[in-house]
Amino acid sequence: MSNRSRFRCDETGGPGERSSKPDESPIDIFTSTEIPTPSIRPLNVYAFDPSLGNFVGNQMITRVSYEELEPGPVGDRFAVIDYDGGQRTFYKPVNLDDPRLLMTNGLPPSEGDPRFHQQMVYAVASETLQRFEYALGRRVRWRTRLGDNQPHAPKGASRRLNLFPHAMCEANAFYSPDAHGILFGYFKASQTNPGRNLPGQTVFTCLSHDIIVHETTHAIVDGIREYFMEPSNVDVAAFHEAFADLAALFLHFSHEEVLIDTLQKTGGKLFDFKLKGDFATAPGATPVLQSQLDTENPLIALATQFGEAAGRQCSLRSALTTPPTTEGAKDIATKTEPHERGSILVAAVFDAYFTVYGRRTFDLFRIYRAGGGSLEKSDLPSPLAGRLAAEASRTAEEFFTICARALDYCPPVDITFGDFLRALLTAHLDYSPDDRDHIRDALMQAFRLRGIYAEDANSFSEDALFWPKAPSGRLRVPGLVFGDPNGLTKEEKDRNGDVLRAYAAENAEMLGFDRHAGAIAAPSFHPMFHTGKDGKLYVTMVVELVQTMQIPFGTGIPGTFPMRNGVTLLIAQDPPDRDERPDPRIRFVIPKLYKPEREERIRSFYIASGRAAADSASDDNSRFRLNFALLHAGV
Amino acid sequence: MAKASSKSSRPRSPKRMTARNPANARRASAPAPQEATSNSRALVKAAGGMRVRMYRVGFGDFFLLSVPTKTGAGHILIDCGVHARDLGSIREAVTQMAEDCNKHLSLVIMTHRHADHISGFASCSDIFSQIAVDRVWMPWFEKPDDPKAAAFQASLTAMAGHLGQQFRARLAASHDDATEQMLQMAENITGGLGAAGIAANQKALNVLHGGFKTKVQPDYYKAGDTPKLPPDLEDAGLNAEILGPPMDDALITQMTNKNQQYLAGATGTEQDFGRSKPFADAYRGSHEDYNDKAFELYGPDQIIRMIRSAQPDVLAAQALAADKTLNNQSLVVLFSFGGKNLLFAGDAQWGNWENFLYGGAYGTPGHTELTEKARGILGKIDFYKVGHHGSANATPKDAVLAMRMGCVGMCSTQEHAYNEVPRAPLLDALRKRMNDQLARSDQVAAGTEEPAPDAGNVPTAFTAPKGGLFIDYNF
Repeated sequence: MSNRSRFRCDETGGPGERSSKPDESPIDIFTSTEIPTPSIRPLNVYAFDPSLGNFVGNQMITRVSYEELEPGPVGDRFAVIDYDGGQRTFYKPVNLDDPRLLMTNGLPPSEGDPRFHQQMVYAVASETLQRFEYALGRRVRWRTRLGDNQPHAPKGASRRLNLFPHAMCEANAFYSPDAHGILFGYFKASQTNPGRNLPGQTVFTCLSHDIIVHETTHAIVDGIREYFMEPSNVDVAAFHEAFADLAALFLHFSHEEVLIDTLQKTGGKLFDFKLKGDFATAPGATPVLQSQLDTENPLIALATQFGEAAGRQCSLRSALTTPPTTEGAKDIATKTEPHERGSILVAAVFDAYFTVYGRRTFDLFRIYRAGGGSLEKSDLPSPLAGRLAAEASRTAEEFFTICARALDYCPPVDITFGDFLRALLTAHLDYSPDDRDHIRDALMQAFRLRGIYAEDANSFSEDALFWPKAPSGRLRVPGLVFGDPNGLTKEEKDRNGDVLRAYAAENAEMLGFDRHAGAIAAPSFHPMFHTGKDGKLYVTMVVELVQTMQIPFGTGIPGTFPMRNGVTLLIAQDPPDRDERPDPRIRFVIPKLYKPEREERIRSFYIASGRAAADSASDDNSRFRLNFALLHAGV
Repeated sequence: MAKASSKSSRPRSPKRMTARNPANARRASAPAPQEATSNSRALVKAAGGMRVRMYRVGFGDFFLLSVPTKTGAGHILIDCGVHARDLGSIREAVTQMAEDCNKHLSLVIMTHRHADHISGFASCSDIFSQIAVDRVWMPWFEKPDDPKAAAFQASLTAMAGHLGQQFRARLAASHDDATEQMLQMAENITGGLGAAGIAANQKALNVLHGGFKTKVQPDYYKAGDTPKLPPDLEDAGLNAEILGPPMDDALITQMTNKNQQYLAGATGTEQDFGRSKPFADAYRGSHEDYNDKAFELYGPDQIIRMIRSAQPDVLAAQALAADKTLNNQSLVVLFSFGGKNLLFAGDAQWGNWENFLYGGAYGTPGHTELTEKARGILGKIDFYKVGHHGSANATPKDAVLAMRMGCVGMCSTQEHAYNEVPRAPLLDALRKRMNDQLARSDQVAAGTEEPAPDAGNVPTAFTAPKGGLFIDYNF
């Protein structure tokens, strides 16, 4: 999906038209001599990471939107700046617009050339961003402000994010809002247990496809939602980890070559943990050749090289670690470490994904068997593998899209796994009302079997889990400007902010706020444009309304914590009716409102996670934000 | 000193142990409604004669619980150690304890293996080798024949050792107080290296595992176990219940792996780590290799600053985490005797408490409210040994609120050993619960150290000898 090309002769805003002197000759409007601006730029990257070597399809070409790039690469959305904090030096930046590199899809994969690293970080981060923007139907902006009382970042920071491919000598990589960017570390592989790496070899986190996608996803989510990074309950950190892992995993299924190879080696069972070697040994026999070794299924494993280099036997995480048993339901009540807890959510979504993949390919397998084919012995014939791959990748794309869109259907604060389930189902219902392959049911069951319930839903059925629709046409927000898909002007933004704040103040009680508890802010509003399954264009806006109360910890603990209440509004702009444009209409009010129990729970959770004790010197509330540096370091 | 002992000499003999403040003792033991029968008076009488003594040694725990038995007082030693701000008084205190108990301890409890709870067993091993001991209790994690427990402790100690080296290297480069505290924290786990190169804590553990006059096989307990009391205490009617540490096999395996991974990746100190070059020198460049657009938002100097300040001190976080992990191994014991309930929580922090309070990890489904059992236990306690020297995370707010109004407490602490310990607001909250009957070890003199000026006077329900060194609570 990331490599969709636009029209063949796309000239929109491209750099090709920057001719230095105006043409004097009369215009021939029927002929254009301009060379079409390319819509994509192909770049060499690793599909996984260098440790998989020349494993089928590991060295691949990714296609990102074409833009003019300066050395770095520095483009419109990302600036790759290669300063090494450990060595205290800059490295020479790659110039991807160098004609020699334009001819060769950039530099060839290499561990020893930092300029390839820069290229890969740029390519994979751009690819990830494009996938999200496509799924969300709008442009994503980066976070520009750390908190309510913090200064704004310089103008333009909402467009461009920094990527630091060799920021530090540490086995870590993390998104840091303070550095307005992503820091990738490098480190020496374990001396004693390095897996496929050489003992003591330098391992670069910026060469891991998964790690780049994971971190970029954190940055994207942080840009979309103002308060999502506040770890106000046990699920929040786990949610962020799970969501970023889901983005990285679903991207695996767009790598066609790997996908077909895996399908052939697993006999179509994509979810098998092990791939048989090319010359698989008989059961019980000892392999004598490398091609007889079983390998880990790379599609459902994350960051293999990183995991092995750090002394683990296997990849960092795998998608299907929490089985849907009664035991699995116990995990949700006991696991609290964010990655462990997150893997429950990842497993639930992947369970649903593989279930739907099974439903969609069931007929193909039956046809194959009816023709005398066996899944036990031989490799799958390539046309069958090709068809299966198409289904797998289409389904993965669909799931990724649902997950991304679900972000807009989450309450603005204090997210739980249960909220995400409700958001997934509602988003899917909204975009694909008829659900032939029962995706919603597959999701619901997969969550239920792992003990993930929605707190306020009164039963575990589709109807109860959908967010309730607002009474049709009763709630209207006059004066809201939707602009067009290319974004809003500053003036329009200011106007929308005023309109929304005024609306919230006027209707505080109806929306469930206590107007005396503080002002209601509108930290974000994003217009979206997308085509429905019926071919119509839908224009909506997702709005966050958030009220912040500073509440004392009480009982022996000084200081306060921010207690946020809020609603997410989904507002639709309907087409003109009898020559008049109706006022924008609220379709959903997705609440996370004040309740004494919720206050108590947040207070206790902040105390439990050690956030109550402020360093009296710097009481700037930064402790109420997730620190990905520590989270990813596993402390 | 408000209620300094009226007697001129220190209470040398346990036989002289009496309720010194009968009026107060009676008030504190107002019978709970359900016990308001004729035998409640008998219970009060039975509890009279029990005593808790808290020694002042610096930042560390040293408690002696004495229970009247048929053959005189039976003594329970709960921890004996000091780490930061050692006042040099521990030897004097151990000597006197040995004398007072006639070189016989019915029970020795080690809550967890931090130096500030066990160092005395090493530094006074000669005295302990002359003391007969009937039973020794330790947390489950000390079980030598359990491979999981052994691996976990080994990885934790190795990690602390590594962190200690790192902090020493940092201090050698430049001194600062924060690093000094981190070093203290890491060495609290190992005890620091002794002259012979053996970690001091190992020496103390050796004493606990077999360095007393009588050879005792220690018992290892976790939450929910039924502990074995020595016969004299059992006959006297003492009861004990183990409330912590919680034990989750999967969690322990996971944490062991994490520590081992950390160690596998840890090569040398930060300094020599930085020296290995990832790329050939030919690739080095400068910010001038970029065009202006690259530094449009943030200039090169600012970028360098941002990269540096975005990196948290992982070592420090690691040290804090290891410290917490070990505190959470604390053996939490509830004693009941003659209708009185005493809670000794070691240094248990949230991770240990939450299992007792909420029945599982806080915030996960079904674990957000106090359990009936926790409410019941806390609602009837008469004495609480404040956890972790009065630090903020060692006595959860919900626990404070559920404690019986009018119970009394003791807190061993020493100012300026760790940041913001003891935590004044927490102690204030406890004091409110306890009608001001909360004693602090630094309210009396010890060694050459005067009582801490901010600590206040010894509260009226307690007694202390003129010369200081310890504070008593008599039931």
